[in-house]
Amino acid sequence: MDQNNSLPPYAQGLASPQGAMTPGIPIFSPMMPYGTGLTPQPIQNTSSLSILEEQQRQQQQQQQQQQHQLFHSQTLTTAPLPGATPLYPSPLTPMTPITPATPASESSGIVPQLQNIVSTVNLGCKLDLKTIALRARNAEYNPKRFAAVIMRIREPRTTALIFSSGKMVCTGAKSEEQSRLAARKYARVVQKLGFPAKFLDFKIQNMVGSCDVKFPIRLEGLVLTHQQFSSYEPELFPGLIYRMIKPRIVLLIFVSGKVVLTGAKVRAEIYEAFENIYPILKGFRKTT
Amino acid sequence: MAYQSYRNSTLGNSLQEINFRGSLNTYRFCHNAWTFVLNDVEFREVTELVKVDKVKIVACDGKNAGSNTTE
Repeated sequence: MDQNNSLPPYAQGLASPQGAMTPGIPIFSPMMPYGTGLTPQPIQNTSSLSILEEQQRQQQQQQQQQQHQLFHSQTLTTAPLPGATPLYPSPLTPMTPITPATPASESSGIVPQLQNIVSTVNLGCKLDLKTIALRARNAEYNPKRFAAVIMRIREPRTTALIFSSGKMVCTGAKSEEQSRLAARKYARVVQKLGFPAKFLDFKIQNMVGSCDVKFPIRLEGLVLTHQQFSSYEPELFPGLIYRMIKPRIVLLIFVSGKVVLTGAKVRAEIYEAFENIYPILKGFRKTT
Repeated sequence: MAYQSYRNSTLGNSLQEINFRGSLNTYRFCHNAWTFVLNDVEFREVTELVKVDKVKIVACDGKNAGSNTTE
């Protein structure tokens, strides 16, 4: 590991030469803030989709990409941390001459699909839930059990919880735009019933995605090496619960290779988290 | 008296099991009463089959069976 002599001591044991990824070595250390700095991030991508597209394009262009040193977040600033000596003097020196964007190298090529989006919006006026339940279609209101009207629409297929304060929760949409559209439809329903409904502070609170790495995973091994982040109690739940720090996403990893990612506020976090976990999962692939 | 009028009603005459199947148009639950509107429903009894375009079902809990109106 000659090339890594200039690395700060805390990162030295973790860097690996080009193209090699040693499994079993704990790459995620709470002491390692941004990684080794071995592969700088010259360009900070703002759109998550463009990251993915670029990664896929690069994967096609280059067969041999440098194995990316895995740390929790790939979209980083290029500025070195205080106290850390950067490997490269200039922030724009890629290891390989071609890669302009995040050199994820061997990016998985798998895109997590969004399964559920939860959003909230404030209709800005007090509502009479009994009136809404009696006059709107597809509404349930059982104040003894729950203090909100549960309304559903078919397109986009979603469910809304409408509270008397005027606040509303919209769940079940498969994309951000659909969630917003559905929330607007509910607001229109309420408005048509005679309430002065507005559409204030629409915010996506949670996004859930899922995907399949297509190979079985050794969860026991994963929990041993990443115990700071993982919790695996097969008697309690068959999946390993991986709490990634950056981005702050919780992943449910199953033996079958299926992965569920949740806790995201934006789509990019889901994609980022998956790109972070994929090389780790590859390292714990079941060979039998 | 009440029992006789019950026996004369639709409900009183259908003592056997009835199955029905259709598509749900709308539903509502308020004041502890369910209101369903179904479309293209087939009411199936052992003896006969009745097809109907639209049916509204109003139902509530209780020992005494909920009211059941069709149109």
